[in-house]
Amino acid sequence: MAIKSASPTPSIFKKKSYPAMNTAASYLSAVSEADARARAHGGTPNSTPALSLSSSVTTSSEDTVLHEIFTTVHTEFGHCGNEDYRYTSHYNPAHPVKGVTEQDPPYYILLTTYISYILVIIFGHIRDFFGKRFKHSSYRHLLAHDGYAALNSDFDSFYTRRLKLRIDDCFSHPVTGVPGRTIVLLDRYSPNYNKTFLPTGTRTRAMNLSSYNYLGFAQGKGACTEAVVESVNRYGVSACGSRLEGGTLDLHMQAESLVARFIGMEDALISSMGFATNSTIIPALVSKGCLVISDELNHASIRFGVRLSGANVRVFKHNDMQALESLLREVISQGQPKTHRPWKKILLIVEGLYSMEGTLVALPQIIELKKKYKFYLFIDEAHSIGALGPHGRGVCDYYGINPRSVDILMGTFTKSFGAAGGYISGNKVLVDRLRVYGHTGPYAEAMSPPILTQIIASMASIMGITLPEKSSSSRSLIRNTEGPIPGVEYEQYPGKAPVSALPPWMLTPSTMVDGSEGLTRLRRLAFNTRYLNRGLRKLGFITYGHDDSPIVPLLLFNPGKMAVFSRLMRTRATPIVIVVVAYPATPLVTSRVRFCLSASHTKEDIDTLLAACDEIGDLLDLKQAAGERWPLHEIITRAVELVNMEEVP
Amino acid sequence: MKGHLQEIDELVDEWVPEPLAAPLTPREQADLAAIPVIIGPTGPKPKLASGKTVVNLATYNFTGLAGNETIKERVIDTVRKYGLGSCGPPGFYGTQDVHIQLEQDIADFLGTEASIIYAQAFSTISSVIPAFCKRGDIIVADRGVNFAIQKGLQISRCTIRWFDHNDMKSLEQVLQSTEKEWRKKKGPLTRRFIVTEGVFDHDGAMSDLPKLVELKLKYKYRLILDESVSFGSVGRTGRGLTELYNVPASQVDMLVGSLANGLTACGGFCAGSHIVVNHQRINGTAFVFSAAMPPSLAVAASEGINILRSTPSILSTLQDNVRAVRAVLDKVDCITIPSHPASPMIHLNVRLPSPTHLLPVASPSLASSSGKPSNPLSVHPRDPEVFDVELEERLLQDIVEEALVQGVMLTRSKRLRGQELTEVRPSIRLNLTAALTRKDCEKAAAVIKAAFIKVVSKRK
Repeated sequence: MAIKSASPTPSIFKKKSYPAMNTAASYLSAVSEADARARAHGGTPNSTPALSLSSSVTTSSEDTVLHEIFTTVHTEFGHCGNEDYRYTSHYNPAHPVKGVTEQDPPYYILLTTYISYILVIIFGHIRDFFGKRFKHSSYRHLLAHDGYAALNSDFDSFYTRRLKLRIDDCFSHPVTGVPGRTIVLLDRYSPNYNKTFLPTGTRTRAMNLSSYNYLGFAQGKGACTEAVVESVNRYGVSACGSRLEGGTLDLHMQAESLVARFIGMEDALISSMGFATNSTIIPALVSKGCLVISDELNHASIRFGVRLSGANVRVFKHNDMQALESLLREVISQGQPKTHRPWKKILLIVEGLYSMEGTLVALPQIIELKKKYKFYLFIDEAHSIGALGPHGRGVCDYYGINPRSVDILMGTFTKSFGAAGGYISGNKVLVDRLRVYGHTGPYAEAMSPPILTQIIASMASIMGITLPEKSSSSRSLIRNTEGPIPGVEYEQYPGKAPVSALPPWMLTPSTMVDGSEGLTRLRRLAFNTRYLNRGLRKLGFITYGHDDSPIVPLLLFNPGKMAVFSRLMRTRATPIVIVVVAYPATPLVTSRVRFCLSASHTKEDIDTLLAACDEIGDLLDLKQAAGERWPLHEIITRAVELVNMEEVP
Repeated sequence: MKGHLQEIDELVDEWVPEPLAAPLTPREQADLAAIPVIIGPTGPKPKLASGKTVVNLATYNFTGLAGNETIKERVIDTVRKYGLGSCGPPGFYGTQDVHIQLEQDIADFLGTEASIIYAQAFSTISSVIPAFCKRGDIIVADRGVNFAIQKGLQISRCTIRWFDHNDMKSLEQVLQSTEKEWRKKKGPLTRRFIVTEGVFDHDGAMSDLPKLVELKLKYKYRLILDESVSFGSVGRTGRGLTELYNVPASQVDMLVGSLANGLTACGGFCAGSHIVVNHQRINGTAFVFSAAMPPSLAVAASEGINILRSTPSILSTLQDNVRAVRAVLDKVDCITIPSHPASPMIHLNVRLPSPTHLLPVASPSLASSSGKPSNPLSVHPRDPEVFDVELEERLLQDIVEEALVQGVMLTRSKRLRGQELTEVRPSIRLNLTAALTRKDCEKAAAVIKAAFIKVVSKRK
């Protein structure tokens, strides 16, 4: 929004807070005219120019405005002009998603893994034993003193103190700036074996494979940021209260209706924190006498919410449809424990994309089971919304399944939209009930205006925007409250967002209007995802998850390798930051590295990453997978071919 | 075996689940529809969807920082430098320098060793309590604690003992009886906590902090104090109860507050010693498993603290406004105010001329038993206040709507009836702000008074 000239100073807005509705519309037509002009000149290709070229694109003066909007900062969102480095994320029915394909490492790896855990635990206990007796002061908080019981028991904190502390330099590293393609680390050192860290005062810019930034909307520049800045000017930073007690702004209404349209549901509600979306709204869905069936790897927020709800819980093996079916048969035939009364309702809670495994939910099978067993289906799309599917609408879009065949779709805005908070969507009756009976509505703060604006702007740029003059046909996709009529409505989903759904003051550059910016992001992410997944496997690494998952877990097994891997990556000539996870987030033996891909990475970034992994993998003896291997240079040169293969042999 | 399978199939076919969500009742729908939608920025005088500009006494803006130009500027700078989202949990490169700065600012402001920030105020305390309090530990809690605390207690699975709402005598009795019980059982030494609020969300009453600290030291309990309402609203510069009573904040083991209410940013915090804070960095569920707060909002909170530090006049203006409103409303027959005179959150209960008709059950039995302490095992007090929820809520809603017509935006305190542990008396909750002038406040109070009188007298 370099078109600042159109917007008066904030103080004027205060008095006359609403400019005419047609501002955005007239601006849009100006934009499309300018765009057409640019195309006629042949200056800019159909793709987003600034994504492909360097940031200094300027042409004739009247078009400068537009190009400045396209401009991205290379460190935030890498420039990539090669149209071959694109792919569309979609489901191929010829290769159904398998439940879990876990590869076991050779026995010596497992053995050494157990041995290293045992060693570390023994050493820990020895140190605790002597420490408690001879170094009283540093154990004070673990021992009863002055009549107070220890604040945390030494047993509960053993893992933290004796195992995690050893590799604490890999966690909670302070950073600054935009968490985009690169991230700036604030260097630190520890004078006392990771007990405390002191800043060195220097900074390191590193390639970022740790942030959840799937579509690259973490930006300090660009259309979304300009919209956010404008919203801060107009709205300030707070809604000052809970939704039901006067904290509802027009922006909340606009965002909720846009989110519903984006997802393809009748209605949606927004909560100011992703974790709280589950933890405070699940209790409004189920209660005593209901059963929740939960995947064993479901997120902590789901477990928190289910515990608060008072419903019974049964867990089934991760993504195992047979286990799920036999569990369903058991619970329906047995009814409630003791009384054997039939369950009031059964709610199946699964995630779309599992953040530790990279596995996708086997949605087609679940929908089949749902028809037979009549349970309600809740999908947590925290990681999949925006990141999967040809239109970025999550797992339903990926599988080509009508979203309305799912009862509740929940997701967050943190990961793909560069914002914060979460949503729950479903039919209107359900969502209205959750507005009133969820804990969020009456008690929790409403979402801040700048966050709402980021959501609106990023979603609109993925959807594309219908201009008023040609909106007559596609506008009918607007919330249809007549109830789900699958055939009819599905044709209209996934549609564009009508310009009337956006705040009238929000300026929308042409790449946002035609949806090309969003599409480029989706396709770049899909390419990077497949390339890294398959590249790592061709190098011989054991990875988990689906080829289309933007989270790529690479298995390390030995706990000691976590720290070494992380440090080696961080101290390379091109530093790379990654996330290492281990027990208790994963099973004890399967410590892993997790790469989070983004549309902001370029193909060259993935090349660099693969080269780094190749080198470190040899050093740490990580290449344990069976199957055909390619040398690094072959992977890099045949990347496009690799990505477009139906299936990697 | 085959017959068995068939049987299961039949059971599956026969089973008919309840609908996922029952539709709202017409009254609930009407309530939902009656919620005002603000067009444009919120603040002391926002514009509603109806086109009307109203005086806002509904939302939290005690310090009047909503729409503050300095904060806006700093937030915009931050957005340009950091983008909007933090894109990751604090453990995985989501901790930015501005978060560290804010934690430092809060700790310095309150005078504690350290602090930790959570991304949502409501989820803060319900995560702090279970981080420390485990099965087998003892919690002594006020009967009137807010919903978020109730959820934290529920998750913690501790042994809970209740004391009468804001009654220090009752607290001491409960502490004594718990002590006795423990000695009798000769159980191991367990962690013991007192959980209460600074200014209570339910009614605006204020805890007697010096007494609380005295008791906790005497009986060797740790104190978890929820200052979600009082932080940024009482004390000379808004530091909360510790400033008001001149109690060092280090005496409170876990001091929990809201950055959304007091500083009009978002999120919550827990301040305390290094050990208390660091423990939560691994064990605070809502901290570990949630993305960090957006950096720009962390900056907004930091700037808010700066402004409070340097402008004590904000809090004195707020207190003037509280006094002005109380001066008008304290004397109205049909209003009862359970709130502390210094609390900028003022709850108004409707007082009906003859409440006796609401008590069909004869009261002598109650009268005879009063004086005896309540059972600490039960959340319900021995002599619960008797009121007609439905009637009072309807009257209060009428008052809210009447005041809105006169240009004052109020709100009933919305509660999840049936889910709160105790039935909370329906009230209208005023949140005063330093952003309004004394005159505006007096005018608004007069409108509220007139609305109460009109609605209550119409009922007769």
